[in-house]
Amino acid sequence: MIYAIYVLIAFSVFFALAGVVGMLRMPDAFCRMQSSTNIATFGMLGVIIGGILYSLCILDMNWGFAVKLFCLGVFYIVTNPIAGHAIAKAGYHHGVETVEMVCDKYGEDME
Amino acid sequence: MKKASFPSVLSTAIVCYIFWLIITGQLVNLIAGEPSAQVLISGAVVSIGTALFAAKFFIHESPFYLFNPAKFFTMVFYCLVIFMGELWKANWDVAKRALSPKLPVNPGIVKVPVNLKSEYGESMLANSITLTPGTITMDIVEEKGQDYYYIHWIDVASQDGAEAGDAIKGTLEKWVGRIWK
Repeated sequence: MIYAIYVLIAFSVFFALAGVVGMLRMPDAFCRMQSSTNIATFGMLGVIIGGILYSLCILDMNWGFAVKLFCLGVFYIVTNPIAGHAIAKAGYHHGVETVEMVCDKYGEDME
Repeated sequence: MKKASFPSVLSTAIVCYIFWLIITGQLVNLIAGEPSAQVLISGAVVSIGTALFAAKFFIHESPFYLFNPAKFFTMVFYCLVIFMGELWKANWDVAKRALSPKLPVNPGIVKVPVNLKSEYGESMLANSITLTPGTITMDIVEEKGQDYYYIHWIDVASQDGAEAGDAIKGTLEKWVGRIWK
């Protein structure tokens, strides 16, 4: 069982690493946010599920631990997109620098 | 801002109380038949107090809609199966882009029509899209009775609203429509 947990956490770490590399390499603020969502979804879920399995199988059915981790995951998933949406909108209205976009329907419609 | 009705306060209080029971670990004690009255009562007071303040921001339509088991289990199925499938595809795609030496990005903001009536459904779909790597919902507007999302997309495959909508939303919209109408 411990190996399944290792695999889940390694999987998570891979996506978190890809997210961080993306955040450093992407050309502008919005693309960086896109890459950071990698960390917020699979980078977090694998660790949470691994932790739940660890508390149930290795820590001998520690339900309190597992349920708290589960709640942590649920609240993370529910609150993260709201923050992302608010940051993106505020950044756009503030006029953050972007690379050449293929199309910008939002800017066209605001004029 | 509308005033909170009694049913909306009640449903918010029930949800808060369930979370209180789970987080304090009382649910296990309750099943084992040895609950601590102190924790149960203080939880009830706190959750009713929270509900009185928060219900008017939280609930605008029918308050007990998700207490219907069919809708609730559809939502659980959506979160665990449909959404995870989309998440897997998108995560893999963005991770490949970030790690590839040429960094193939093609960003842009597209305008996508949405055919959902309920405001919960709209916000759930918008949040699902934001949570998927590669797409961020920036704003929701209504024009002539039709709702539109503005979506920042890392790889613009089509500038046309309907085609872009099919590529971004995939099967998500159909399933959210089943939950929320």
